[in-house]
Amino acid sequence: MRAFGDLEAAVMERLWSWEAPATVREVLEDLTKQRPLAYTTVLTVMDNLHRKGFLLREREGRAYRYRPASDRAAYAAELMGEALADSGDRVGALLQFVEHIPPAEVTKLRAALDAAADARQRRR
Amino acid sequence: MTTAVVLAVYAVVGATLGAVLLRRASWPQRAPRLGIATWQALSASTLAAMVLAGAALSVRLPSLSTDIAGLFRACLMNLRAGYATPAGSLATTIGLAVALSVGGRALWCLVLALAGTRSQQRRQLRVLAVLAHRDTALGALVIDHSSPAVFCLAGRGRPIVLTTAALAALAPVELAAVLAHERAHLRGRHHLLVTATRGLARAFPGVPVFRDANEQVACLVEMVADDAACRGSRPEVVASAVLALADGTAPTTALAAGKSSVEVRLLRLQSPLSPLGPSRRFVLAGLVSVLIFAPLMLAAVPAIAAADVDHCPLGDSALTLTW
Repeated sequence: MRAFGDLEAAVMERLWSWEAPATVREVLEDLTKQRPLAYTTVLTVMDNLHRKGFLLREREGRAYRYRPASDRAAYAAELMGEALADSGDRVGALLQFVEHIPPAEVTKLRAALDAAADARQRRR
Repeated sequence: MTTAVVLAVYAVVGATLGAVLLRRASWPQRAPRLGIATWQALSASTLAAMVLAGAALSVRLPSLSTDIAGLFRACLMNLRAGYATPAGSLATTIGLAVALSVGGRALWCLVLALAGTRSQQRRQLRVLAVLAHRDTALGALVIDHSSPAVFCLAGRGRPIVLTTAALAALAPVELAAVLAHERAHLRGRHHLLVTATRGLARAFPGVPVFRDANEQVACLVEMVADDAACRGSRPEVVASAVLALADGTAPTTALAAGKSSVEVRLLRLQSPLSPLGPSRRFVLAGLVSVLIFAPLMLAAVPAIAAADVDHCPLGDSALTLTW
Protein backbone atom coordinates (compact mmCIF):
# COMPACT_ATOMS: atom_id res chain seq x y z
CA MET A 1 0.00 0.00 0.00
CA ARG A 2 2.85 2.34 -0.69
CA ALA A 3 0.60 4.71 -2.60
CA PHE A 4 -1.18 5.47 0.66
CA GLY A 5 2.02 6.09 2.62
CA ASP A 6 1.85 9.86 2.49
CA LEU A 7 -1.88 9.85 3.03
CA GLU A 8 -1.52 7.75 6.19
CA ALA A 9 1.01 10.28 7.49
CA ALA A 10 -1.31 13.17 6.55
CA VAL A 11 -4.28 11.61 8.35
CA MET A 12 -2.27 10.85 11.50
CA GLU A 13 -0.87 14.39 11.40
CA ARG A 14 -4.35 15.91 11.53
CA LEU A 15 -5.64 13.64 14.24
CA TRP A 16 -2.57 14.32 16.38
CA SER A 17 -2.83 18.06 15.97
CA TRP A 18 -6.62 18.27 16.47
CA GLU A 19 -6.42 16.38 19.77
CA ALA A 20 -10.08 15.41 19.37
CA PRO A 21 -11.63 12.34 17.78
CA ALA A 22 -12.82 12.89 14.21
CA THR A 23 -14.94 11.17 11.62
CA VAL A 24 -13.82 10.24 8.12
CA ARG A 25 -15.90 13.10 6.70
CA GLU A 26 -14.18 15.67 8.95
CA VAL A 27 -10.71 14.43 7.95
CA LEU A 28 -11.72 14.31 4.28
CA GLU A 29 -12.93 17.92 4.35
CA ASP A 30 -9.58 19.05 5.69
CA LEU A 31 -7.51 16.95 3.29
CA THR A 32 -9.40 18.02 0.17
CA LYS A 33 -8.29 21.60 0.79
CA GLN A 34 -4.88 20.44 -0.47
CA ARG A 35 -5.82 17.87 -3.10
CA PRO A 36 -8.94 16.20 -4.43
CA LEU A 37 -9.70 12.93 -2.67
CA ALA A 38 -12.55 10.48 -2.65
CA TYR A 39 -14.43 9.62 0.55
CA THR A 40 -13.74 5.94 -0.02
CA THR A 41 -10.00 6.59 -0.27
CA VAL A 42 -9.84 8.31 3.10
CA LEU A 43 -12.18 5.69 4.56
CA THR A 44 -9.86 2.90 3.41
CA VAL A 45 -6.78 4.66 4.78
CA MET A 46 -8.36 5.25 8.18
CA ASP A 47 -9.65 1.72 8.29
CA ASN A 48 -6.13 0.45 7.51
CA LEU A 49 -4.66 2.63 10.25
CA HIS A 50 -7.19 1.17 12.65
CA ARG A 51 -6.28 -2.33 11.56
CA LYS A 52 -2.59 -1.60 12.07
CA GLY A 53 -3.27 -0.34 15.56
CA PHE A 54 -2.54 3.35 15.06
CA LEU A 55 -6.17 4.47 15.47
CA LEU A 56 -8.94 3.54 17.88
CA ARG A 57 -12.58 4.07 16.97
CA GLU A 58 -16.06 4.32 18.45
CA ARG A 59 -19.30 4.01 16.64
CA GLU A 60 -21.30 7.21 16.30
CA GLY A 61 -24.51 6.55 14.51
CA ARG A 62 -23.60 5.06 11.15
CA ALA A 63 -20.02 6.26 11.12
CA TYR A 64 -16.99 5.84 13.31
CA ARG A 65 -15.15 8.52 15.25
CA TYR A 66 -11.40 7.86 15.16
CA ARG A 67 -8.67 8.91 17.55
CA PRO A 68 -4.94 8.10 17.73
CA ALA A 69 -3.99 5.13 19.87
CA SER A 70 -0.87 6.88 21.10
CA ASP A 71 0.66 10.31 20.72
CA ARG A 72 3.30 11.12 18.15
CA ALA A 73 6.05 11.60 20.71
CA ALA A 74 5.55 8.07 22.02
CA TYR A 75 5.98 6.53 18.55
CA ALA A 76 8.96 8.72 17.76
CA ALA A 77 10.59 7.89 21.09
CA GLU A 78 10.07 4.17 20.57
CA LEU A 79 11.43 4.21 17.03
CA MET A 80 14.41 6.40 17.88
CA GLY A 81 15.02 4.41 21.03
CA GLU A 82 15.46 1.31 18.91
CA ALA A 83 17.51 3.20 16.35
CA LEU A 84 19.90 4.62 18.91
CA ALA A 85 20.04 1.47 21.01
CA ASP A 86 23.15 0.17 22.64
CA SER A 87 25.21 -1.69 20.06
CA GLY A 88 24.84 -4.82 22.14
CA ASP A 89 21.11 -4.83 21.52
CA ARG A 90 21.61 -4.18 17.89
CA VAL A 91 19.21 -6.39 16.01
CA GLY A 92 20.60 -5.63 12.60
CA ALA A 93 17.28 -4.31 11.36
CA LEU A 94 18.79 -0.89 10.78
CA LEU A 95 22.31 0.38 10.29
CA GLN A 96 23.00 3.68 12.00
CA PHE A 97 25.50 6.10 10.50
CA VAL A 98 27.38 6.52 13.79
CA GLU A 99 26.63 5.80 17.42
CA HIS A 100 26.52 8.58 19.99
CA ILE A 101 29.58 8.99 22.18
CA PRO A 102 30.05 10.92 25.43
CA PRO A 103 30.45 14.71 25.03
CA ALA A 104 33.98 14.64 26.46
CA GLU A 105 35.02 12.18 23.76
CA VAL A 106 33.41 14.37 21.08
CA THR A 107 35.36 17.42 22.27
CA LYS A 108 38.61 15.47 22.28
CA LEU A 109 38.06 14.09 18.77
CA ARG A 110 36.94 17.44 17.40
CA ALA A 111 40.13 19.04 18.72
CA ALA A 112 42.17 16.34 17.01
CA LEU A 113 40.22 16.83 13.76
CA ASP A 114 40.78 20.60 13.85
CA ALA A 115 44.48 20.15 14.60
CA ALA A 116 44.81 17.85 11.59
CA ALA A 117 42.99 20.37 9.39
CA ASP A 118 45.34 23.15 10.58
CA ALA A 119 48.37 21.00 9.82
CA ARG A 120 47.05 20.37 6.32
CA GLN A 121 46.41 24.08 5.84
CA ARG A 122 49.96 24.99 6.93
CA ARG A 123 51.48 22.47 4.56
CA ARG A 124 49.83 24.13 1.57
CA MET B 1 39.00 -41.61 13.11
CA THR B 2 42.05 -39.62 12.12
CA THR B 3 39.95 -37.59 9.72
CA ALA B 4 37.58 -36.68 12.52
CA VAL B 5 40.45 -35.71 14.80
CA VAL B 6 42.14 -33.65 12.09
CA LEU B 7 38.89 -31.84 11.31
CA ALA B 8 38.13 -31.21 14.98
CA VAL B 9 41.63 -29.84 15.59
CA TYR B 10 41.29 -27.66 12.50
CA ALA B 11 37.97 -26.34 13.81
CA VAL B 12 39.30 -25.56 17.28
CA VAL B 13 42.50 -23.96 16.00
CA GLY B 14 40.60 -21.92 13.45
CA ALA B 15 38.03 -20.80 15.98
CA THR B 16 40.62 -19.69 18.52
CA LEU B 17 44.04 -19.02 17.00
CA GLY B 18 42.58 -18.03 13.65
CA ALA B 19 40.33 -15.48 15.30
CA VAL B 20 43.22 -14.03 17.32
CA LEU B 21 45.44 -13.70 14.25
CA LEU B 22 42.76 -12.04 12.19
CA ARG B 23 41.73 -9.68 14.96
CA ARG B 24 45.33 -8.53 15.44
CA ALA B 25 45.95 -8.06 11.71
CA SER B 26 46.07 -4.51 10.42
CA TRP B 27 45.31 -5.26 6.78
CA PRO B 28 41.49 -5.49 7.12
CA GLN B 29 41.33 -1.73 7.63
CA ARG B 30 43.07 -1.27 4.30
CA ALA B 31 40.82 -3.71 2.48
CA PRO B 32 37.60 -3.90 4.48
CA ARG B 33 35.65 -5.94 1.92
CA LEU B 34 38.36 -8.58 1.90
CA GLY B 35 38.42 -8.43 5.69
CA ILE B 36 34.69 -9.13 5.84
CA ALA B 37 35.05 -12.03 3.38
CA THR B 38 37.87 -13.51 5.46
CA TRP B 39 35.89 -13.33 8.68
CA GLN B 40 32.89 -14.97 7.01
CA ALA B 41 35.13 -17.64 5.46
CA LEU B 42 36.83 -18.38 8.78
CA SER B 43 33.48 -18.66 10.55
CA ALA B 44 31.99 -20.91 7.87
CA SER B 45 35.16 -22.98 7.69
CA THR B 46 35.37 -23.75 11.42
CA LEU B 47 31.66 -24.47 11.55
CA ALA B 48 31.82 -26.83 8.57
CA ALA B 49 34.91 -28.52 9.97
CA MET B 50 33.17 -29.25 13.29
CA VAL B 51 30.10 -30.65 11.56
CA LEU B 52 32.21 -32.76 9.21
CA ALA B 53 34.32 -33.98 12.13
CA GLY B 54 31.19 -35.39 13.69
CA ALA B 55 30.09 -36.83 10.38
CA ALA B 56 33.51 -38.40 9.77
CA LEU B 57 33.40 -40.03 13.18
CA SER B 58 30.05 -41.64 12.51
CA VAL B 59 30.10 -42.42 8.85
CA ARG B 60 33.18 -43.53 7.06
CA LEU B 61 32.84 -42.08 3.60
CA PRO B 62 33.05 -44.75 0.95
CA SER B 63 35.24 -44.23 -2.08
CA LEU B 64 34.28 -41.34 -4.29
CA SER B 65 31.97 -42.23 -7.07
CA THR B 66 29.37 -40.48 -9.12
CA ASP B 67 26.71 -42.98 -8.17
CA ILE B 68 24.82 -40.88 -5.62
CA ALA B 69 22.35 -43.60 -4.72
CA GLY B 70 25.20 -46.07 -4.27
CA LEU B 71 26.98 -43.51 -2.11
CA PHE B 72 23.96 -43.19 0.18
CA ARG B 73 23.61 -46.94 0.47
CA ALA B 74 27.29 -47.31 1.30
CA CYS B 75 27.06 -44.56 3.90
CA LEU B 76 24.08 -46.26 5.53
CA MET B 77 25.92 -49.57 5.55
CA ASN B 78 28.89 -47.88 7.16
CA LEU B 79 26.63 -46.26 9.73
CA ARG B 80 25.07 -49.57 10.64
CA ALA B 81 28.49 -51.22 10.73
CA GLY B 82 29.57 -48.48 13.09
CA TYR B 83 27.13 -49.82 15.63
CA ALA B 84 28.52 -53.33 15.28
CA THR B 85 31.10 -52.89 18.03
CA PRO B 86 30.62 -51.09 21.39
CA ALA B 87 33.51 -48.72 20.72
CA GLY B 88 32.25 -48.17 17.23
CA SER B 89 28.73 -47.41 18.37
CA LEU B 90 29.95 -44.93 20.97
CA ALA B 91 32.03 -43.15 18.36
CA THR B 92 29.18 -43.20 15.88
CA THR B 93 26.71 -41.80 18.39
CA ILE B 94 29.08 -39.05 19.51
CA GLY B 95 29.84 -38.24 15.92
CA LEU B 96 26.21 -37.96 14.94
CA ALA B 97 25.39 -35.92 18.04
CA VAL B 98 28.16 -33.45 17.33
CA ALA B 99 27.34 -33.09 13.65
CA LEU B 100 23.60 -32.67 14.17
CA SER B 101 23.77 -30.42 17.21
CA VAL B 102 26.43 -28.05 15.84
CA GLY B 103 24.90 -27.90 12.39
CA GLY B 104 21.37 -27.70 13.71
CA ARG B 105 22.18 -25.01 16.26
CA ALA B 106 23.90 -22.85 13.65
CA LEU B 107 21.03 -23.19 11.20
CA TRP B 108 18.38 -22.55 13.85
CA CYS B 109 20.07 -19.40 15.19
CA LEU B 110 20.65 -18.03 11.69
CA VAL B 111 16.99 -18.50 10.81
CA LEU B 112 15.92 -16.95 14.12
CA ALA B 113 18.20 -13.94 13.59
CA LEU B 114 16.87 -13.39 10.09
CA ALA B 115 13.25 -13.67 11.21
CA GLY B 116 13.85 -11.29 14.12
CA THR B 117 15.45 -8.73 11.86
CA ARG B 118 12.62 -8.96 9.33
CA SER B 119 9.89 -8.54 11.91
CA GLN B 120 11.58 -5.56 13.51
CA GLN B 121 12.10 -3.97 10.11
CA ARG B 122 8.42 -4.45 9.24
CA ARG B 123 7.35 -2.86 12.49
CA GLN B 124 9.71 0.08 12.05
CA LEU B 125 8.57 0.61 8.46
CA ARG B 126 4.94 0.72 9.65
CA VAL B 127 5.74 3.41 12.20
CA LEU B 128 7.86 5.33 9.70
CA ALA B 129 4.95 5.35 7.27
CA VAL B 130 2.91 7.46 9.67
CA LEU B 131 5.67 9.41 11.39
CA ALA B 132 8.03 10.39 8.63
CA HIS B 133 7.78 12.76 5.67
CA ARG B 134 9.33 11.90 2.38
CA ASP B 135 11.85 14.49 1.20
CA THR B 136 11.90 13.94 -2.54
CA ALA B 137 14.95 16.18 -3.05
CA LEU B 138 17.02 13.99 -0.72
CA GLY B 139 15.31 10.75 -1.64
CA ALA B 140 14.99 9.98 2.07
CA LEU B 141 12.51 10.07 4.95
CA VAL B 142 12.67 12.77 7.60
CA ILE B 143 11.49 12.37 11.18
CA ASP B 144 10.89 15.20 13.58
CA HIS B 145 13.23 14.44 16.49
CA SER B 146 15.62 16.37 18.71
CA SER B 147 18.48 13.88 18.56
CA PRO B 148 20.61 13.81 15.41
CA ALA B 149 20.57 10.39 13.79
CA VAL B 150 20.73 8.92 10.32
CA PHE B 151 20.06 5.28 9.54
CA CYS B 152 18.91 3.00 6.78
CA LEU B 153 16.51 0.09 6.80
CA ALA B 154 16.51 -2.94 4.58
CA GLY B 155 13.10 -4.20 3.60
CA ARG B 156 10.39 -2.56 1.59
CA GLY B 157 11.46 0.71 0.00
CA ARG B 158 14.92 0.47 1.65
CA PRO B 159 14.52 3.93 3.17
CA ILE B 160 17.24 6.16 4.49
CA VAL B 161 15.92 8.04 7.52
CA LEU B 162 17.20 11.32 8.95
CA THR B 163 16.00 13.25 11.98
CA THR B 164 15.34 16.99 11.73
CA ALA B 165 18.18 17.46 14.24
CA ALA B 166 20.54 15.62 11.90
CA LEU B 167 19.54 17.86 8.97
CA ALA B 168 20.25 20.88 11.14
CA ALA B 169 23.64 19.54 12.26
CA LEU B 170 24.99 18.73 8.78
CA ALA B 171 26.37 21.07 6.16
CA PRO B 172 25.18 20.30 2.60
CA VAL B 173 28.46 18.61 1.63
CA GLU B 174 28.35 16.54 4.82
CA LEU B 175 24.77 15.55 4.08
CA ALA B 176 25.77 14.30 0.63
CA ALA B 177 28.55 12.22 2.19
CA VAL B 178 26.19 10.72 4.77
CA LEU B 179 23.64 9.77 2.12
CA ALA B 180 26.38 8.17 0.00
CA HIS B 181 27.48 6.17 3.06
CA GLU B 182 23.96 4.88 3.73
CA ARG B 183 23.38 4.00 0.07
CA ALA B 184 26.58 1.95 0.15
CA HIS B 185 25.14 -0.06 3.08
CA LEU B 186 21.99 -0.77 1.08
CA ARG B 187 23.91 -1.69 -2.10
CA GLY B 188 26.19 -4.03 -0.22
CA ARG B 189 23.37 -5.77 1.68
CA HIS B 190 25.25 -5.09 4.89
CA HIS B 191 22.17 -5.74 7.03
CA LEU B 192 22.33 -9.36 5.95
CA LEU B 193 26.01 -9.70 6.87
CA VAL B 194 25.46 -8.15 10.28
CA THR B 195 22.44 -10.37 10.94
CA ALA B 196 24.39 -13.50 9.98
CA THR B 197 27.37 -12.75 12.21
CA ARG B 198 25.04 -11.87 15.05
CA GLY B 199 23.17 -15.15 14.58
CA LEU B 200 26.33 -17.23 14.80
CA ALA B 201 27.62 -15.27 17.79
CA ARG B 202 24.33 -16.02 19.58
CA ALA B 203 24.47 -19.65 18.50
CA PHE B 204 27.87 -20.30 20.06
CA PRO B 205 28.43 -17.70 22.77
CA GLY B 206 32.01 -17.26 23.84
CA VAL B 207 33.57 -18.97 20.84
CA PRO B 208 36.22 -16.42 19.79
CA VAL B 209 35.78 -16.60 16.02
CA PHE B 210 32.03 -15.96 16.08
CA ARG B 211 32.20 -13.32 18.80
CA ASP B 212 35.04 -11.47 17.06
CA ALA B 213 33.49 -11.81 13.62
CA ASN B 214 30.35 -10.15 14.99
CA GLU B 215 32.32 -7.16 16.34
CA GLN B 216 34.75 -6.82 13.45
CA VAL B 217 32.26 -7.20 10.60
CA ALA B 218 30.12 -4.44 12.13
CA CYS B 219 33.15 -2.11 12.13
CA LEU B 220 34.29 -3.20 8.69
CA VAL B 221 30.93 -2.54 7.00
CA GLU B 222 31.10 1.04 8.32
CA MET B 223 34.57 1.34 6.77
CA VAL B 224 33.31 0.00 3.44
CA ALA B 225 30.54 2.61 3.51
CA ASP B 226 32.98 5.36 4.55
CA ASP B 227 35.18 4.45 1.56
CA ALA B 228 32.16 4.74 -0.71
CA ALA B 229 31.37 8.17 0.76
CA CYS B 230 34.98 9.22 0.17
CA ARG B 231 34.61 8.52 -3.54
CA GLY B 232 32.21 11.46 -3.82
CA SER B 233 33.45 13.71 -1.00
CA ARG B 234 36.74 14.63 0.63
CA PRO B 235 37.69 12.40 3.58
CA GLU B 236 37.74 15.47 5.88
CA VAL B 237 34.11 16.12 5.01
CA VAL B 238 33.12 12.53 5.83
CA ALA B 239 35.08 12.78 9.09
CA SER B 240 33.36 15.99 10.14
CA ALA B 241 29.98 14.42 9.29
CA VAL B 242 30.84 11.46 11.54
CA LEU B 243 31.66 13.79 14.39
CA ALA B 244 28.63 16.02 13.82
CA LEU B 245 26.27 13.05 14.15
CA ALA B 246 28.20 11.34 16.96
CA ASP B 247 27.45 14.34 19.13
CA GLY B 248 23.96 13.63 20.31
CA THR B 249 21.55 13.88 23.18
CA ALA B 250 20.77 10.18 23.32
CA PRO B 251 22.17 8.22 26.25
CA THR B 252 25.64 7.14 25.30
CA THR B 253 27.21 3.81 25.97
CA ALA B 254 30.14 3.68 28.33
CA LEU B 255 33.34 3.52 26.33
CA ALA B 256 35.35 0.37 26.57
CA ALA B 257 39.06 0.66 27.13
CA GLY B 258 40.96 1.55 24.02
CA LYS B 259 39.72 3.43 21.01
CA SER B 260 36.01 3.78 20.35
CA SER B 261 34.89 2.69 16.90
CA VAL B 262 34.20 6.36 16.13
CA GLU B 263 37.83 7.23 16.85
CA VAL B 264 39.04 4.32 14.71
CA ARG B 265 36.90 5.52 11.81
CA LEU B 266 38.07 9.11 12.21
CA LEU B 267 41.74 8.11 12.34
CA ARG B 268 41.26 6.03 9.23
CA LEU B 269 39.59 8.93 7.40
CA GLN B 270 42.16 11.50 8.45
CA SER B 271 45.23 9.59 7.41
CA PRO B 272 44.10 7.31 4.62
CA LEU B 273 46.14 4.12 4.64
CA SER B 274 47.53 2.96 1.36
CA PRO B 275 45.27 0.35 -0.16
CA LEU B 276 46.60 -3.19 -0.32
CA GLY B 277 48.68 -4.00 -3.36
CA PRO B 278 47.33 -6.49 -5.90
CA SER B 279 49.76 -9.25 -4.91
CA ARG B 280 48.69 -9.12 -1.28
CA ARG B 281 45.04 -9.08 -2.31
CA PHE B 282 45.64 -12.13 -4.44
CA VAL B 283 47.24 -13.98 -1.55
CA LEU B 284 44.38 -13.05 0.76
CA ALA B 285 41.76 -14.08 -1.79
CA GLY B 286 43.61 -17.38 -1.99
CA LEU B 287 43.45 -17.67 1.79
CA VAL B 288 39.69 -17.16 1.69
CA SER B 289 39.34 -19.93 -0.90
CA VAL B 290 41.53 -22.28 1.12
CA LEU B 291 39.42 -21.63 4.21
CA ILE B 292 36.22 -22.36 2.34
CA PHE B 293 37.41 -25.60 0.78
CA ALA B 294 39.73 -26.97 3.48
CA PRO B 295 37.11 -28.78 5.58
CA LEU B 296 35.63 -30.53 2.54
CA MET B 297 39.06 -31.55 1.30
CA LEU B 298 40.09 -32.87 4.68
CA ALA B 299 36.87 -34.82 4.99
CA ALA B 300 37.26 -36.26 1.52
CA VAL B 301 40.87 -37.46 1.98
CA PRO B 302 40.01 -41.04 3.05
CA ALA B 303 37.42 -41.27 0.32
CA ILE B 304 39.98 -40.17 -2.26
CA ALA B 305 42.51 -42.60 -0.84
CA ALA B 306 39.94 -45.39 -1.07
CA ALA B 307 39.22 -44.60 -4.69
CA ASP B 308 41.79 -47.21 -5.73
CA VAL B 309 40.28 -49.88 -3.56
CA ASP B 310 37.70 -51.82 -5.47
CA HIS B 311 36.20 -53.90 -2.70
CA CYS B 312 33.77 -52.73 -0.06
CA PRO B 313 35.88 -52.17 3.07
CA LEU B 314 33.36 -53.68 5.45
CA GLY B 315 35.09 -56.91 6.32
CA ASP B 316 35.77 -57.19 10.06
CA SER B 317 39.51 -56.89 9.70
CA ALA B 318 39.17 -53.86 7.47
CA LEU B 319 36.84 -52.18 10.00
CA THR B 320 39.08 -52.69 13.04
CA LEU B 321 42.36 -52.00 11.28
CA THR B 322 41.45 -48.96 9.31
CA TRP B 323 39.80 -46.93 12.04
